[in-house]
Amino acid sequence: MLEHLAQVLAAGQIAAGIAVLSGLFCAIGQGNVAAKAIESIARQPEAKGTITQSMFIGLAMSETVGIYGLLIAIILLFANPLVAIFLQYMG
Amino acid sequence: MDFNVRNFAVFDIGGFEVWLTETVVNTWIIMALLIVAAIIVRVRLSGFGDVPKGLQNVVEFMVETFSGFVKNTAGEKLQYLGGWFFSAFAFIFIASISGVFALRPPTADWATTFAFALATFILIQILGLRYQRLGYLKGFLAPDFKLNLPNVLASLLFTPLNIIGELARPVSLSFRLFGNILAGMILMNMLYALTPVYVQLFVPVPLHAYFDIAMAFLQTYIFIVLSLSFVGTASEVSAE
Repeated sequence: MLEHLAQVLAAGQIAAGIAVLSGLFCAIGQGNVAAKAIESIARQPEAKGTITQSMFIGLAMSETVGIYGLLIAIILLFANPLVAIFLQYMG
Repeated sequence: MDFNVRNFAVFDIGGFEVWLTETVVNTWIIMALLIVAAIIVRVRLSGFGDVPKGLQNVVEFMVETFSGFVKNTAGEKLQYLGGWFFSAFAFIFIASISGVFALRPPTADWATTFAFALATFILIQILGLRYQRLGYLKGFLAPDFKLNLPNVLASLLFTPLNIIGELARPVSLSFRLFGNILAGMILMNMLYALTPVYVQLFVPVPLHAYFDIAMAFLQTYIFIVLSLSFVGTASEVSAE
């Protein structure tokens, strides 16, 4: 029984690691947003205020993806629902 | 290491379980601080002169900056919303940096952030209906909707997607703030739990400055800017 519980926990840890990988794509997207914003500021320095504000909104939007992955990882690490189901099943 | 919200007491009010959690108590502490600050400003308000000095300078600077900010982001006709958004900004910011004072940040509980996101969501619906009237509901149909067969068929596809997109707004808005503050709190708690005592003297200072203060300000700013721009878009009457 303890062995099986260990397997469930290990699967949860590995899944958390995979879920956090969504940060990879999030980082690529955020890098693109920042690069484009700097490009447009270099082209039009007088529009700096507007561009910076839109950049922050864009960054926040693409950050959501990474945050979803992070939250799934946190749930799997600290509040894993599968462990409860497993314990209930084993009695 | 325990990252769960602690529960102090459970009351039974009319068949409903009401939980007195750490979040509720910390929220009360922050509310008390903000109310005391507001009362101090209100009492000193009558003594304010034409030439600002001291406290008046600070208050005028905050109010002027914020009302200019609301005007730029949401538009001039929505300036009356500045009061609500300023209070929300002050509360979320103080709540998010309260990790520095060894309180569990109330914004690291999804209930708090979802309440604020829900307020934004309701505001979007009310202002959309108020300023655009039926045009707001028309926005849920196919783009450039006209009453003919292909448009009606396209609307059968578009309307559920638009409604789901609308419902996803408060969820993504609240998860963004919640996830950031929770991640900062967990990282700081892990640092304190894993390092020996002599490391805990000066090392956490820059980390607190980043995870608690810089992140809190950035996320609060983003939450308010996104809310304002959602509200601003909903109240814009499309030129027809």
